[in-house]
Formats: sequence, structure tokens, C-alpha cells
Amino acid sequence: MSLKLKKLMGWEGFLLVVLLLIISVNSFHSPAFLTVENQVNLFVLSVEKIIIALIMTFIILNAEIDLSVASMMGLAACALGWMVESGTSTSTAIGLCLIIGFLGGAFNAYWITVVKLPSLVVTLAMLIGFRGLARVLIEDRSIRVFPPWFENLGQQPFWGPLPLSVYIFLVLLVISVLILQYTGFGRYVYVIGINQEVAAYSGVRVARVKTILFMMSGLISALAGILFAARLGSVRGDMGLGFELDIITMVLLGGVSIFGGSGSIYGVILSILIVLYLRNGMSLMNVTGHIQTGVIGVILILSAMIPNIKTWLEGIFEKKYAS
Amino acid sequence: MYKKIISLIAVSALFFGATVMAHTIAKKGMKADLVLMPKFLGILVFDQANNGAQEAHRELGNPGKLEFLGPTPENSVAGQIEILTTATTQGQDGIMISNNAGDQIAPAAKAARAKGMTVVTWDSPIPSGDGEQLFIAQVDFNETGMVMADMALSILGPGGGEFAVLSATPDAANQNAWNASMKEHLKDPKYSKIKLVDLVYGDDQSEKSYNQALALVDKYPNLKLIMAPTTVGIAAAAKAMQDEGLCDQVKVSGLGLPAEMVSYTLNGCAPEFALWSFVDLGYLSYYATYMIATGQIEGVAGETFKAGRMGYYTIEKDPTRDKGLRVKMGPFSVYTKDNVEAASK
Repeated sequence: MSLKLKKLMGWEGFLLVVLLLIISVNSFHSPAFLTVENQVNLFVLSVEKIIIALIMTFIILNAEIDLSVASMMGLAACALGWMVESGTSTSTAIGLCLIIGFLGGAFNAYWITVVKLPSLVVTLAMLIGFRGLARVLIEDRSIRVFPPWFENLGQQPFWGPLPLSVYIFLVLLVISVLILQYTGFGRYVYVIGINQEVAAYSGVRVARVKTILFMMSGLISALAGILFAARLGSVRGDMGLGFELDIITMVLLGGVSIFGGSGSIYGVILSILIVLYLRNGMSLMNVTGHIQTGVIGVILILSAMIPNIKTWLEGIFEKKYAS
Repeated sequence: MYKKIISLIAVSALFFGATVMAHTIAKKGMKADLVLMPKFLGILVFDQANNGAQEAHRELGNPGKLEFLGPTPENSVAGQIEILTTATTQGQDGIMISNNAGDQIAPAAKAARAKGMTVVTWDSPIPSGDGEQLFIAQVDFNETGMVMADMALSILGPGGGEFAVLSATPDAANQNAWNASMKEHLKDPKYSKIKLVDLVYGDDQSEKSYNQALALVDKYPNLKLIMAPTTVGIAAAAKAMQDEGLCDQVKVSGLGLPAEMVSYTLNGCAPEFALWSFVDLGYLSYYATYMIATGQIEGVAGETFKAGRMGYYTIEKDPTRDKGLRVKMGPFSVYTKDNVEAASK
């Protein structure tokens, strides 16, 4: 059997079926679903999360985790608001916030690669640390200080019907696919995820790869925080609270193993679409609040079971097509 | 036929001759799909507002739908924006928002208006007034501040003392306006002996409010009163004081629901608190939104309309904000051990 067909029979094939099912149910139930406006909105309403889901895919493939992403979003957004409020020009402040993201990621990387602490512990600490900093900067306030051009950037279409943030996502998506599928660095990410020791003995510079990944994670999270601030036009300390769970859900549902080394960016793209379409469909059918959270929770359980289901499914197909 | 019409006009003239201003009485049976959006789900007062809106919906015989849609507490800001955006996509005719997203919701509200949707806020407005046509104010926001100051004075007595405010979320425009107006009133020499020492937020979540109340007591040993202008905060603070046996030292007051507060009022933990009817607030919001969405009124300053059983209301400039229109409902009811039992049933 060809590799492509095999792939289609696996987890990604299953996701594709689920996605098509959701799309048909949604279009059947709501005439508004397939409108351009709705399609644009459903991306815009979650664009910050799906941008981070891309870099999270690299990190989890690498058998690590970054729980501090949403807190970094909040920190970057609050730092931006704080700086602009204290008189810094918005463009300078954006640059400084990206640097904050980069340094935050480097800080995570130091404890993970040099001190060799587990990333779960380090980034959990920073989940609290970055969020705490954000709250210290803004206190219990909400501030709205941005110039109109910055708010328009987040709220108005940039080119065609889409705002800038969606284009940023698309560009990052293409870059992620290219790096992960077609470069040596992408292969290192997988190899380290499968077996770190073997990779190290084979001459892969493990610490370097991990450091780059966590720095990029911090940088992209800060970028997402800035985009979030632009979309909402104001900032406060609890921005993005709990987003890390949604982001990790998307990646795991995409078939990326939590133990690293297996899964693909294509699966993550499909699962991003599934989560967005599912939420949008429920909203259009006036299902909100706790029921929506519950359904997403069921998905989380499903995605935790992915490695097992996947092996099981593969087993079945192997038997069927072995001859 | 003509006779009938003429006599009808004559009768109407007799009926309404007494009112000088032009006013509009709602035509029944016109179709408008409406959404009532609370700050988030699971709060009793918002369910009461929904009951009031449903009552008006039935009364007006609107063949359209009235949906009660809200986010979960931890997702309130992003959730409100998402629901408003989706409602716009669905082509709903109008939405009634108790805003918990501050000005963060303004872009989505403007987009809804651009699509011809009616956007009315109730309970808590959009601070900048951007994207909102009308705000249904429960009471005059300055009056809330005065009622809070007066209750503090009445509980602390002529000797005065220290008190702290336990508010909801930093972005709730109504809370901020009340706290600001209370501070303004406290400048009056009449209140010179009562001292506001802190203002903290419990995010309208019971557990956080409970912990914040206890933290206040720890931080200020001389604290004599916690003023919580939120139904969640006041109940949580009263429970905290009761659980810790602190009711003799630290009293609780603010805005509360009689049904939730009755035991604390009778045992002296919360001797005095105030509120308005959320059922009426939902009912009035529905009438205003229905009439704007069906084109019966425009929603401009100076218009008077009749909101069913509640009578006549006039749209005016909101004196508590730089920009924006409001309809003021009122009045306050102050509850003490004398009347709380009757009100809680």
C-alpha cells in the first residue's frame, strides 16, 4: 500500500471525516455558516490560539511542553499597554514586547537545557510567573490607550476580507510545514522527540534545538498577545487566561503524541479546523456556556486517548491489508 | 367603518389626552429575533432578568425568538465578544447586553450596528458608549453611590470606622461608576468619620470573593464593614464573616438579593443592603429593544415609550458617561430585618 493511502487511513483520515461531518451538519443547520463573514469571524475569534498551536506542535513533537504560552500572551499584552500608557510610542513598545517574549522563552530554555529540569515544571512555574508580572504591571485595571492605527490593525480587514492576524497565521503555517517536513531542523525535532539520548549520541545538538524552540515559543506567544491587544483594543491582567489548555487540546487532537516523536503538522491543521468549526457550529445553534465547554472537554479526553486509538486503528488496517 | 376609526381616535385621545409629551405604545405581534446576554451564566439575578424579558416577549406576542445566551464565568470577556459576533452573523435583530468586557466589546458592537442590528445594554453599559444605542440603567449610578455611602453610615453609626469595598470585576462599568460615585459622596462632611481603606475584586465568583473578604479582615484589623455592590460578593462576604464568627466585628452590606441574604440579615451579619428588581430590568430592556428593533421608536434622546405594566419611560442623555443614552428604571429598595423576609419569598 502506498504511503499516502496509509496516511489517509490513519488518524488524519479520521480527522478529515470528522471535519467533513461537522461542516455538513453546520451547513445543514445554519444558513449563516458558509457565509464569508462567518468563515472570517470564526478564524478571527481564535486566531491568537491557533498561531500558538503551530509552535506548540514543534514543542510537543520534541517531547516537551510549554504551559507558559498563554501567560506570556497576557504579559506581552499588558507590557504593551503599560509602556504605551507611560508614553512609549506604540511601535517601539511592540518591538520591546517581542523582545520580552524572546527573553522569556530563553529563560525557559535555560532551566530546561542547562539545569535539565523537566519542561512541565519550568513552564508551569512560568505560567504563574509571567501571569503574575502581567498583573503587577496593570494591577486590577483595564486600560485602553492604543492609537487608532493599532486598533484598526486588529479589527479591520488588512487585505481582502481578512485582518492582518489571519495572514500572519497563514504565513507561519506555511513556514511551519516547510520547516517540519522539508528541513534538517524539522527532522531533528522528530528525532529528539523519539529518543533524546540516541539523537545526542548521533551528533544532534539537542540543547540547541530545544533552545531555539522555546525562544520561538516565547516570541510567537508575545506576538499573539500583541495581536490580541489590537483585536480587543484594550488590555487587562487576565487576558488569555487558560488558553494554554485549548492550544494543547488542538495539538493533541491533531494526533501529535504527548510523548513526542510522532504526529504531523497536517493533523494539527485538521484539528484546528475541527475545534473552530465545532465551536462556531454550536454558537450558531445557540449552544453556549457550559455545554460548549463540556463538548470541548470530551474532545480533550478523546485527544488524550489518541495514541491508543491510533495504534488500534492502525492494527486493524494492517491486518486487513497485510496481504 | 370611518365612524369606528373616528370613535377609536376619540377614545384614544380621551385616554392619552392627559400626557403632554409624544409617546409610543408598543405594537404587538411584530417579529424580531432577540438575544439576551448576561455577564455570564449561573447567576440568579441574570436568570431573573431573563424571566422578565420572557414575560415581555410573551406579552408582546413577538413571533420571533428570544434566546438567553451567555458565556461561562472564566471565559466572560472573550465569550461575550464571540456571542455578539455570532449573533451578528446569524442575523439576529437585536441584542441586550449586560457588558462585562468593558470597551473590549465595542469593536464587535460597532460591527453589529453596521449590520443593522439593535444593540441595547442593560445592567452594565459599554463605558465609551461606542456601538451601543441605549443603556437601560437599573438606577441612577450616582444614587447607587449615595445609597452605598448611606448604608455605610447607618451601619457604622456616628462613631464611624474603617470599611472596604469588595467589587466584581475591574471591567464592569456599572461597578466602577458606583464605586467612583460613592467616593465622591464620601467627601461630604456628613461621612467624615467613615474611612474607605481598600477596594478589591472578587470577579463575581463565590470562592474568590469569599477569600478576598477574609483577606481584607486579615489586612485591616480595625475593619468594621465590607461593602459589596454585587450580589455574588455580598453573599460570599457574609458567609465568610459568619463562618469565621466575625459578624460582631465586621458587618457586610452592599447590593444583594433578599432570597440569598435573608439568613445573614436576620442573624446580623448583613443588617442592611439594597437592590432593585432584576425581573423588571429584563422586562424594560426587552420592551425598549423590541420597539427599536421593529422600528417603532428610533432610540434617540427625548423619545417616550410605554413599557407594558411598568409605565412610561423617556430616553435621555446618560449623565454618568461622556457619551451614550440611557433609560433610568429605579427605584432602590433597602432591605433590613424588618422587610427582608417578605421580599425573599
